[in-house]
Amino acid sequence: MIYLNNAATTYPKPQNVLDACSAALRSVPESQFRSGQELTDGEDVFTVCKRNLGKIMGLSQTERIYLSSGATDSANRVLYGLLSDSNDCEKKIITTVTEHNSILRPLYNHQCWKKRLQLLPCDRFGYIDPGNLEKMLTINDRDGVGTEAVIINHCSNVTGMVQDLAAFAEAINDSGLRDRPVFIVDASQSAGCIPFSADDLKIDALIFTGHKSLFGVQGTGGYFVRNGLELRPMLYGGTGRNSAQIEYSAADDDYEYEVGTQNGPGIAALCAGTEYILSRGVNAIAEKEREQMRILYDALGSISNVKRYGCFEKNAGPVLSFVIDEMAPSDVAYILKTGYDVTVRTGLHCAPLIHDAIGSGERGTVRISISDMTQNAELEDFINIISEIAEAGRQI
Amino acid sequence: MRITDRVESRERCAESGWYAYDFILDEPMDADFIRSLRAVGGSFVFMTMLKKPFFKIESDYYIIKGVEGNNYFRMAVHEEHLSELERVERLVQGEIADGAADRRS
Repeated sequence: MIYLNNAATTYPKPQNVLDACSAALRSVPESQFRSGQELTDGEDVFTVCKRNLGKIMGLSQTERIYLSSGATDSANRVLYGLLSDSNDCEKKIITTVTEHNSILRPLYNHQCWKKRLQLLPCDRFGYIDPGNLEKMLTINDRDGVGTEAVIINHCSNVTGMVQDLAAFAEAINDSGLRDRPVFIVDASQSAGCIPFSADDLKIDALIFTGHKSLFGVQGTGGYFVRNGLELRPMLYGGTGRNSAQIEYSAADDDYEYEVGTQNGPGIAALCAGTEYILSRGVNAIAEKEREQMRILYDALGSISNVKRYGCFEKNAGPVLSFVIDEMAPSDVAYILKTGYDVTVRTGLHCAPLIHDAIGSGERGTVRISISDMTQNAELEDFINIISEIAEAGRQI
Repeated sequence: MRITDRVESRERCAESGWYAYDFILDEPMDADFIRSLRAVGGSFVFMTMLKKPFFKIESDYYIIKGVEGNNYFRMAVHEEHLSELERVERLVQGEIADGAADRRS
């Protein structure tokens, strides 16, 4: 079996993740802020996990990291918590055509937000020119409308393009705007495999998922909101703290956003995933994956009837999309799965707006994606299989 | 060849108005069986040069695809032509000799 669908969920997981999840299920359940908990070394797994996440993503305010069920959950909490839902608000909301539906669908299905949306285009590689953001911000500012938020996908789950966050940060922070917008970054594809520092980039809110390159299990993830930003709670419920308090107001700036019983075994697995990454080093993981992506780009580029969406020099993430001429992407994926036991992803990849820009149309692409656990031998086998399918495709 | 089960695919293509099913067979498909499916009608592609030969039959209303040696094939059909599922089932089970002659849609 060859698994190249790591942009969806990484597989296999490191052994320590399997061990931690299993141990959590066999142990007395941990429960954040609830009494009676026996702590290990004075810290619970939730605190350790957040501290590790802070190290990986360059976040010092780890108390402002909140764990959730994944990026979609996080995106909804961040957007509903930060963006105005007043019909009177005219401030623009800027996002990009490279976004995943976890961002697009909340924005497009809120009528207040939909009418204020502005989309940044991308080129055929999936690259977004930060200069276009600067222009958009300047025009909004000049017109007196202003911009409420800028939402950027760090690494495309379709093309593997890694956006220049530093340039976006500069446009937001150093353009002399009268009213600085909130800078929101979706790091679902990059957290754990591409180095960045949210503090250095002055990111206000960061969305991530646990089950991709952070090596947690499905149903885990989280978000960060910088201290001082008011985040309206989207959910209310038990937290284990201040149980006598029923009503909350905006003045309650220490509102506990993690309501309900947390996913203890999942967070134990995510914590183990972060420990694996810290032991390996994000830079080392990025370098290893980069070399493996070079192998894939070079090999697929040498097959005459394979079209790649992106190129090694520009697309730095561990994701590559391609098609084989005259063959539907869904057929290629079907042949790979049923004929060769190779798992890839096909279609639009829940990012519907990028395909017009990169030229992949309604049928989308075949997407392959690696993780730190991917072996070179798997890639060699995969390349041989694709060569065979492409050869057969030429004879249709 | 007998069909032992028909399972709705977990792949969700229903939002575009298409539904996919996997037909489970009582034995693996060989090349002769696959070629016999041409009677269903539509364009026919059979990539015999693959180690695991792939076939596909496609019309405006349905797509059938599978791999030689497997004991299942997939049929995606538009929601307005779900009766095609029964027609293909009868053809496979030898209840009708020529699928095209019995086509209703």
